[in-house]
Amino acid sequence: MKNILLVIAILLLANKMNAQGCSDAGICSINHGFQTDEKHHKNKLEFAAIYSLGEADVAYFSPYISYSKRFNDRFSFTSKITFSTATGSFGTRSQFGDAFLIGNYTFKEKSKKQWSVLTGFKFPFTASNLKINGYSLPLDYQSSLGTIDLFLGTNLNYKKWDFNAALQLPVINLNKNSYFKEYGGTDDFPSTNLFERKPDALVRATYSIKTPNKKFTFKPNVLLIYHLGEDSFENIFGQRESINGSDGLTINGNLISSYSVSKQSSLELSLATPFVVRDIRPDGLTRSFVLGLQYQYSF
Amino acid sequence: MKKLLLLTVIILFASCQEEGILTKEREKVVVNPATELKYYGSFRPTSGISVTGEAKIYLENGQYKVVLDNFSISSGPDLKVYLSKAETPTDFVNLGNLTSQTVYQVPTTVSVSDYSHVLIHCQQYNHLFAIAALTSN
Repeated sequence: MKNILLVIAILLLANKMNAQGCSDAGICSINHGFQTDEKHHKNKLEFAAIYSLGEADVAYFSPYISYSKRFNDRFSFTSKITFSTATGSFGTRSQFGDAFLIGNYTFKEKSKKQWSVLTGFKFPFTASNLKINGYSLPLDYQSSLGTIDLFLGTNLNYKKWDFNAALQLPVINLNKNSYFKEYGGTDDFPSTNLFERKPDALVRATYSIKTPNKKFTFKPNVLLIYHLGEDSFENIFGQRESINGSDGLTINGNLISSYSVSKQSSLELSLATPFVVRDIRPDGLTRSFVLGLQYQYSF
Repeated sequence: MKKLLLLTVIILFASCQEEGILTKEREKVVVNPATELKYYGSFRPTSGISVTGEAKIYLENGQYKVVLDNFSISSGPDLKVYLSKAETPTDFVNLGNLTSQTVYQVPTTVSVSDYSHVLIHCQQYNHLFAIAALTSN
């Protein structure tokens, strides 16, 4: 219990850091595709509402709906649709974000170790060029990164531990963002005109603690994301420019607390914040604090 | 219960936009009538586009400004104003989004005499809408 309180205290204190966090638009929530706890039902619906704080004065509300189908003990499939509302000095902009299609294969357990792998795609609903009154908006206000991404991941479950590793590779760039710092009226966001982003690599370690009555589960976890290269944009002269400091490591802390309402449904509360950040975050993945509430229903 | 759930989902996922401090309609910038006209040219459309008006470049207090005079054009999704070295957008300065504003400031680092055209270009679909060849006044 002391350990849990300590983790909560660290998370709350770290929220005061000027930090780069996670977008929930992709790699940060990929571990849900690995979840294998639910063995009694074939289908699972998940509704989530996520509130988060970003760069400058931007705040987000990002609900999503997810459906998972378990075909047998080995194969499962998850689809998800995200939505995002961003509010700040540029105004409020809401739009659908991405659709996810993820397949998961779980291997047989051997010596208390169980491996699983996943692969899938993320498809954007927008070209990341949403505007307000004809003014271009930074990526922080866009509901999607505007890329079709491939996910490749693996998970090792060992006793109470889960270890994830995953890659998020932009395979087709549909990003047509047209935000220029020069014309934006603020220095808070970098230029991201015709933005091109590099892949991300993720490693996550999660420890699960269940209460004796198995009603509550706590999953403190640490998430490391390495952005594999510098992103780039096209400047006002039509020349491509790398964004110095946009590559590198982000380390996030996350605490998931779930309550089993019944055999079919559960509620989950998650708190996340970054500890280590990249120098610059042109992709808008700048959450400094994330609070999520999820409801899962299996049938 | 099902209806309530459906209503909640619709409300949560409703698309909307609302302007903020940085996206409010700005006051129209005007150029002092006494300002020196340096370059001008009439717009001509590309195929399937209609356009009227002129591009004029003024030098006001050491700052070059592109003015779209009596200008109207077919609507497009992501129209930009380019100061270009050719009648195609290969070597240009992006002056920003085409909005209700008619005056576009040219960055001070740009040597305006090197540029021969003003273009209206849809960046998102890479489609050129209109061309104005500039003549020195």
